[in-house]
Order: sequence, then structure tokens, then C-alpha cells
Amino acid sequence: MEKVVAHTDDLAPGEMMEAEFDGRPVVICRASDGDFHAFTNLCPHQGAPLSKGQLCGAPEPTDEIGTYNYKNEGNILRCPWHGREFNIKDSGRMLANERQKLREYKLSVEELSVADGNIILYK
Amino acid sequence: MGFIDTDIHERVSYEQLLPYLEQPWRRYITDCHWMQEKHMPYTQPAVAGVDRADAQLPDGRPAGSDLGFMQEQLLDSNGHEYGILTGALDPSPSSMHGWYEMATALASAYNDWQIEHWLEKDSRLYGSVHIAAQDPAAAVQEIERVGDHPKMVQILLPIDDILWGDPFYHPIFEAAEKHQLMIGMHHNEPPIYYGKWPRYFIEWHTLIPTAHMNQVTNMIFSGVFEKFPGLKLMMIEGGFTYVPFLMRKMDQQYTDLRHEVPWVKRMPSDTIRDHLCFTTQPLEELKKWELLQIIEQMGSDQIISFSTDYPHWDYDSPERALPPRLDEALKRKLFSENARQFYPKLRRGGKTDGKSSRSYG
Ligand code: FES
Repeated sequence: MEKVVAHTDDLAPGEMMEAEFDGRPVVICRASDGDFHAFTNLCPHQGAPLSKGQLCGAPEPTDEIGTYNYKNEGNILRCPWHGREFNIKDSGRMLANERQKLREYKLSVEELSVADGNIILYK
Repeated sequence: MGFIDTDIHERVSYEQLLPYLEQPWRRYITDCHWMQEKHMPYTQPAVAGVDRADAQLPDGRPAGSDLGFMQEQLLDSNGHEYGILTGALDPSPSSMHGWYEMATALASAYNDWQIEHWLEKDSRLYGSVHIAAQDPAAAVQEIERVGDHPKMVQILLPIDDILWGDPFYHPIFEAAEKHQLMIGMHHNEPPIYYGKWPRYFIEWHTLIPTAHMNQVTNMIFSGVFEKFPGLKLMMIEGGFTYVPFLMRKMDQQYTDLRHEVPWVKRMPSDTIRDHLCFTTQPLEELKKWELLQIIEQMGSDQIISFSTDYPHWDYDSPERALPPRLDEALKRKLFSENARQFYPKLRRGGKTDGKSSRSYG
């Protein structure tokens, strides 16, 4: 099945929105490079709606104690409740625990005009 | 199954307290910009500070400040039977390091506001009596004033830098017993790091249970529960996984050192089982067998009570925070029966016991 869940001009880079696909809540994210990614909109921890969180950056792991290298602005999805971080450019992988990922949906963009296109989820 | 939530944080703005404050107290807020002292060097580094990001009101007001929104997001959607309000620790009169007169006025104002805007507006909500405990005589007066309200179930004491088991504070416990109020203790700014702050928030937040352990140890070895046999203590927002350790440690210490505290007449673990209860949040992610093992080591499945801590960022979902596939009988205890047994006024469903016909607020 496939479904148009949003339009490309609905989201600027670093923004996200909720949608629905196959009877389930999904979150559509636009990364800083302009690409779109879609994930289940339920946090794997306790089920918070991820779309109510934030697309932001995060300090990357470092060997330098006391150093904060804030990177990846617009690509880190932080849960609105306990704040767990997921990298949308890395298959929704959790920063603190690489073994956990968000469920990612397959997505394609169908260009309608220069400025706009259909964001399509399919499976 | 009814669900009783033992920790919900309603929030007031100082402006909302003004109608309940006499002069000169009012003008210290309006003219002199009084604000409660706070010492934490960090923020609560979640998406929206101390609150769940999705609990902020659409009009920009802070989370927990609107009954209608709370009803929709929390009480209706989770099917709450009852919820116990515990304030948002601002103001926290008992935490003030001076000016106890102002603290006393703030406590009264808060209680009146809480009764009028929450307890009398939603039958599910029950409240905590705020006091300025540093002045026990004034605190007792406030307990006498509002303690008989049928929906006030406990007296709130913050966990920060005062250990409340000291005999100086016993008049508060005497008044609590008289009004069938339990004690609810909730940390505010616990000095878990030798009286100061650890370098990082993550350390402070990890070690909150140590501040709770200080209070439990102090209350028990001060003989509070021998002196006030009707009194019970709810330890709020420190979780419960530390309790098996503390029970064993206290029992062993008591066996060796009883002579120092001869007013303590029972094994501490027995006192804990008979007089204390622990709210669940913030739950570690436990497997079912881990949870059951902890309960077994506590020697009771009746002293844990589920709490959400709504609307704070470390909220626990009633559906998702505990491990799946728990027995129905255990779930019933954790989600409602233990709290109902703990708070006598909940057992009466908010009706007076016939002794009081006063009006409040
Ligand atoms: S529900 Fe998302 S981090 Fe807990």
C-alpha cells in the first residue's frame, strides 16, 4: 500500500509533523539536508508522541572531558517526555543505546512542481 | 480497575495567589518582586525544562496550570479514579531559609487556592496541606484551619536540608494524626552532595533516593512512629528500589546499636511495612522478575503505589512504565488498593466523617 501523508512544502528543514499511515501514528521529519524521514510516532520507551518533542542537535561523544561539541542540528529527534535522543539520519538509532532504533517507514517524494511534492509512505 | 495516582503536580503563579494574601504579604510580590529562592545550578535538561513538552498549554501557560487541560490529557485519558495533588514546589513554604512569616502566609494562600480551584472543581482530585514547617506552632494553626477538609489527605513536607523527625517538629505530626492526615514527603532541593550540588544534573537526579533514605532513617530512629502510631508516611518521587537495601541495613544497625535510640521499639523494616508507602515514579526499566524480586525483598506488596508525576518530563505512563503481564491482583494493589488503604480519607471517598461541617477557601 502507499499513501500521500504530507507535502514537501509543509516542512522546512529541522521541522516535523505527525501523520497517519496504515492506521498507525507516524512522524514525518525533514532533516537539515532537506531529506524526509518517517518513523513510528510512539517512543519505544513509554510511548510518548515523538512529534511533540524536538528536532535539535546533540553534543557528540568525545574523549575530552568537559567539552561539548554540539552537532547534527535538526537531525536529532528528542522525545517530549524523558528526552531520549534518536538520530533521524542514522535510521532513528538511539544515541545512548545503539541497539535501539525507531521503526522507520519507507518513503518517496513525488515532485509536483519546483516548490512542492507529495511525500509518500509505502510498504 | 480504578487508578489512584499518588503524585500530580498542579502549578500556581504568584499572581494567582494574590487574592488569598493579606497585606503586607501581597505587596512583597507585586511591588518588591518576591520570588522563592532556588539554588539548582542547572536546568532540568529535558525538551521543555521540568515539564513534558506536550503538557505545556497551547496559550503558553506552563504545564499543570490548567484544570481542563489536565483533565483531558491525564485524568480522562488514563481513567483516573483519584489523583493526589502535591504542588509544584514553587512556592514551597517549608523550604524557605528565613522569613517564616511570609512562608506561613504563602502556605495558607496556597491551600485556599488549591481547595477553590482544584479540590472543589473535580471530584477526583485530592490535596496536600502546605505548611511552613520551620515554625511548628504556625504550621499547626494552618493544619487546624484546613486539615479537616474532606479532600485534604496529607501534609506536605519537602525533602531538602531539614530532617523532619527531630522532636522540634513533632507538633506537626500530632496535628496530622488528629486530622487523619498522613505525611507526604517530596524532594525539593536535596543536598545529596555534602550539602552542595553535584557537578551535573544527571548525578543529582540519579541520587534523589539518597535524600529519601536520609528522611526515612531519621523519622524511624527519631521514634516518630512509636510516638504517633496512627501516622503514616508517603515517600513521593524517590521510587522504591532502594527499600530492600535500607530495610536490611537499618535492621542490622538497630540490632547492634539499639541502645542509642531506646525509644525505638520495633525492627525498622517492620515499621516501614506498617507505616510507610513509596510512590513508583521515576521507575527504572525493570523486567517482571526483577520487580517481583524487589517486592519479595520488601516483604510486602502493599507499600508501593503507582504515581505518574504528571506533568513533569520524567512522567511515568500507567500503561507502559511497569513491566508487562503482571498479575491482575498485584496490579490492583499497585494502581489503587495500596493508596486507598494508605489514605483514610480516600477510603471515605472525600466525604466528611460527620465531625466537620465547615466551609473552606
Ligand atoms: S517515552 Fe520517550 S524517552 Fe521515555
